[in-house]
Amino acid sequence: MTGLRGKLVLLVLQNAPLLLFAVLVIVFGLMSDRFLTPINFVNIVNQSSHIAIIAIGMTFVLLIAGIDLSVGANMYLSAAVLGVFLPGLPPLLAFPVVVVLGLAFGMVNAFMITQLRVAAFITTLSTLFIGRGIALYFSGNKMVPFSKDVLTFGRTAFFGVPSAIWVFLVVLLIALVVLRLTAFGRQVYAIGADPDAAAKAGINVKRVVFSVYCICGVCAAVGGLVSGSQVAVASSTFGFQKEFPVIAAAVLGGTSLFGGRGGVLGTVFGAVLIQTVENGLVMTNANPYLYPLVISVIIFIAVFTDSSRTTVLERLERRKIRVEPD
Amino acid sequence: MNTVDASVVSMPRAQAAWKRLLLSEYLVLVLTVVYFLAMWTIVPEIATLDTQLDILSAMMPLLVVAIGQTFVLIVAGIDLSAPSIIAMASVVGASVLTGDGGYASGTGFEIAAGILAFIAVGCAIGTFNGICTTRFNMPSFIVTLTTMMFFSGAAIWYTTVHTDASSIGNLPRAFVAIGQDRVFGLPISLAVVLAVAGTAHFVLSRTVYGRWLYAVGLNPRAAAVSGIPVRRVIFWAFVISGMCAAIASILYTGRLETGTPVLGQRILLDVVGAAVIGGVSLFGGKGKILWTIFGVLFLTVIDKSLQLLGLPIASVFAIKGSIILSAAIIDAVRHRLLVRA
Amino acid sequence: MPENNSQPLLAAEGLCKSFFGVEVLHKVGFSLQAGRVLGLVGENGSGKSTAMNIIGGVHQMDAGRIQFDGADYRPKGPRDAAKQGIAFIHQELNLFRNLSIAENLFITDFPKLVPGLPFIDRRAARASAAKLLAAVDLNLSPTTVVNRLSQGERQLVEIAKAIGGKARVIIFDEPTTSLTTRETGRLFDIINRLRQQGIAIIYISHILEDIMRLCDDIVVLRDGHVVGTAPKSEMTIEGMISLMVGRRIDQLFPPREAPVTPGTPVLEVRGLTQHGTVKDITFTLRAGEVLGLSGLMGAGRSELARILFGIDSFGSGEIVIQGTPVKTPTPAACMDHGMAFLTEDRRAEGLMMEAPIGHNIALSSLQTYASGLAGVIDRTRLDGDIAKISASVQIGARDIARTLVKNLSGGNQQKVVIGKWLLRAPRVFILDEPTRGIDVGAKNEVYKIINRLAAGGAGILMISSETEELIGMCDRIMVMAHGEIRATFERGGFNREEILRAAMWDGIRNAAQ
Repeated sequence: MTGLRGKLVLLVLQNAPLLLFAVLVIVFGLMSDRFLTPINFVNIVNQSSHIAIIAIGMTFVLLIAGIDLSVGANMYLSAAVLGVFLPGLPPLLAFPVVVVLGLAFGMVNAFMITQLRVAAFITTLSTLFIGRGIALYFSGNKMVPFSKDVLTFGRTAFFGVPSAIWVFLVVLLIALVVLRLTAFGRQVYAIGADPDAAAKAGINVKRVVFSVYCICGVCAAVGGLVSGSQVAVASSTFGFQKEFPVIAAAVLGGTSLFGGRGGVLGTVFGAVLIQTVENGLVMTNANPYLYPLVISVIIFIAVFTDSSRTTVLERLERRKIRVEPD
Repeated sequence: MNTVDASVVSMPRAQAAWKRLLLSEYLVLVLTVVYFLAMWTIVPEIATLDTQLDILSAMMPLLVVAIGQTFVLIVAGIDLSAPSIIAMASVVGASVLTGDGGYASGTGFEIAAGILAFIAVGCAIGTFNGICTTRFNMPSFIVTLTTMMFFSGAAIWYTTVHTDASSIGNLPRAFVAIGQDRVFGLPISLAVVLAVAGTAHFVLSRTVYGRWLYAVGLNPRAAAVSGIPVRRVIFWAFVISGMCAAIASILYTGRLETGTPVLGQRILLDVVGAAVIGGVSLFGGKGKILWTIFGVLFLTVIDKSLQLLGLPIASVFAIKGSIILSAAIIDAVRHRLLVRA
Repeated sequence: MPENNSQPLLAAEGLCKSFFGVEVLHKVGFSLQAGRVLGLVGENGSGKSTAMNIIGGVHQMDAGRIQFDGADYRPKGPRDAAKQGIAFIHQELNLFRNLSIAENLFITDFPKLVPGLPFIDRRAARASAAKLLAAVDLNLSPTTVVNRLSQGERQLVEIAKAIGGKARVIIFDEPTTSLTTRETGRLFDIINRLRQQGIAIIYISHILEDIMRLCDDIVVLRDGHVVGTAPKSEMTIEGMISLMVGRRIDQLFPPREAPVTPGTPVLEVRGLTQHGTVKDITFTLRAGEVLGLSGLMGAGRSELARILFGIDSFGSGEIVIQGTPVKTPTPAACMDHGMAFLTEDRRAEGLMMEAPIGHNIALSSLQTYASGLAGVIDRTRLDGDIAKISASVQIGARDIARTLVKNLSGGNQQKVVIGKWLLRAPRVFILDEPTRGIDVGAKNEVYKIINRLAAGGAGILMISSETEELIGMCDRIMVMAHGEIRATFERGGFNREEILRAAMWDGIRNAAQ
């Protein structure tokens, strides 16, 4: 009956990104023999790690039905501070300073949103400008080179795995633990599902929301560091409009813009999927101008299936008055 | 509650006046004038006729996009695709117009065909956005985000198909005139924008569709129960937004004399910011063309003044951001005052 | 086991509560003993829920006093009430559907792996959750996501949560409305077990048979007054019904002259069925007639109205408006055929709260006042008609064009919605709870408007939970229960007890079995 068919449709819709990924890997694998190699896989993850890290932070924000447009600016600010003010410092000392700065950036957003009750969209839109402005002031609108130590860090591999991936894995692990194994993490999901019920149940909604924007700020800074250590110099467009692929990665991974649904593993998958497509297009010598087109089509498909899934779910859960036998 | 009322009654007259100003819909205009006068003392050039005209022509394309955005914001949506529409329309339109083998070049009606191409691109993308949000229940934020990414890329790709250069030039003089020339000392673009603004204002304040837009933004469920075709209303808002972006593209392209795929790339946040500064609500149901004009004027005057001051791009960014933020905070305060009143 | 039966665990006296100047509770008092179940019955709007919302901390009482376990009890909010040991299981359950059962049970106080550190001891959480689930006989893994549970299972999770929170009083508000018979039986077993453990229970229900089966003591409310308190042994279903009905002279209904000859049919409904909502609805509404639709909450009255106005879809059947069959009704199509619909929730579906009165009244008629391709509104004509309409429904506001609807009283807001539809001069008017939440004066004015409309030849379908109101206003009354029309009464044959009995059909049937 309708129940069974509905469930089947739902199953397909639920796994649409995964199916998409499988199809893409097969197609690219058939078209290029360099694509399906371990080295290439490491490469893909390496290149997607900074997006994945920032998207992990964004996932927290999206889970409470918020949004943070300022991550790209935060990223650039971190890179600028690292390159301009801390060139002499060894990475082990400089990085924590930058991360604290990212935290401060997130706190500004969080303060505006929770205390002054300004909409998240407009708050982070303005801190995007302010953050980028301050960073441009620091950099003097010029290329910011990074110290040799930073670059060495970016190019080092531990146990055959590039440092960026290590950082990304650590961030992922922490995020997984926080979201799944702490009360805070579960409360994030609860608030996303129903903020009123959350407040009624006695959850300190303001505090959780505040922390979530702080987490996003930290992740953006770490992403900036990782990306910076990979590219040697930060141009004045470093991190510009990065908020879009970051949100796209999270949404692609099944995180809802309306809160309460999704998770960091999906987000990481989304980030890797985007990078896989880009990588596959390179490997198959596709016209580079077509990359953004293909990627946006894939994101579109993912969002489309997600909306269809929501519609199907709503239909399945409609309230009934008469209890009738199926 | 009673204590609040009492304090309003006993409030000194000056304080009451401040409150009235804060709640006034002309607040942004007042702020612009105050800012302008303050700037005058620092950079007197700001008051010259040339600067004034500069400000005017700089604000024109931005204003058209912001007007389109206002329609979408009123129904509680958002259109992030406007910049990509500008870019796409610019290169498609230019490919029709250009003297270097344009599709309609030399036919005698290339100007009309070109303008049609601009508008067609805008309407097509707007239609796509509209269908996705209303028929497939996709959030407008993410739909227009993907169309933005797609058409930004598509515009560049389209350019590479037509030319080896990074833009499509050699546009007919008559077309360029739309963006550059002045008639009786006033830019032609001004006339175009005035027409768009006038029409938009008329539609919003005098027509059935205008009333429906607000109703859908204020309470979509009540609107549906009242027999309003909610989906159609939202759909057309996106089409209008696309069309306005296309008109802006004509003005930009004319001003630059080339069809460029990176056109308008940085104006997205300006557009949304200007509308919100003017008082258009992101949550729908609230907005006026006049407010949007004030918002755009405010942002443009600030841009121009910072430019005249010779400030580096860094300060421009930071100051602009702070201004948007202050506007948002003022709005939040204002909202709380209104709730209390 | 309760150590002392004469000492009440919870005692309320003199509870008073008004909303917007309308008194909904008047000096209500009752007491509850540990290990006993108190049944609370009364018609819709009799004050049951309000009284329980005060106990559960949702509302604050205006006057009165509550003793809980020998001390003064005045909860600051639902959370505070729960902390003090009073759990309230609402009809609309308060679970997070995206979280597992265990997470829902411990969302604010998870067991920790190491004290002082934030990490959840998932194993401990699962184990305690399993124990709580066993206590309510719910044979499910604690890791099951709530989304996958049936309504009955969710209810049991709520009960488990109450037990986990060391609740000593558990309040159930209409817990069986969306449960199957089996689930209901299971719920009663659990409640009986809780009683044996010394937990006090307040049970609100419309199903009097359930009340008789389950409760030790029964309190009957009517119009915010306690009209009967007795142990079960001294109460019968018939007795409860007559107490609930009582005799009331608090409302004056304007005189109504029934049409001498029945008018032409303006709305004919035949065999209307929608799976899970309504079944085989057939009736005819004639011009000049006021047809009442009675029934308990959740009987399917509003759902029927929404289908008739094209908001929700239906499976099979036929709707004919003014002689024209409407195959695929939409609000716009129904309006074109002369239908209007006043929704039960005027805030959510009737009004634009942030817009002025005039804009609200004009909302559904704008096209009538528009001309040309652009649809330019003839504002002079529109404003003139709005002024006429608002005068005729007597909206008490100085500036129709400026005053925002959110600043009006409930009665005036309702008049704005009515005015919105009157501007279209409807021939078929569906009114869903037209007098809910408005004061007596405004009610009387709404009645007058209804009479005037009927006298003008419109057919009116009036849904109301106040039987008195239907008796005072209608020519005919249909009674719905479980999505079906159970009975129809003609004016002259109206009988409050009969109507109520038909509405509670299920309970009576079960009792007969």
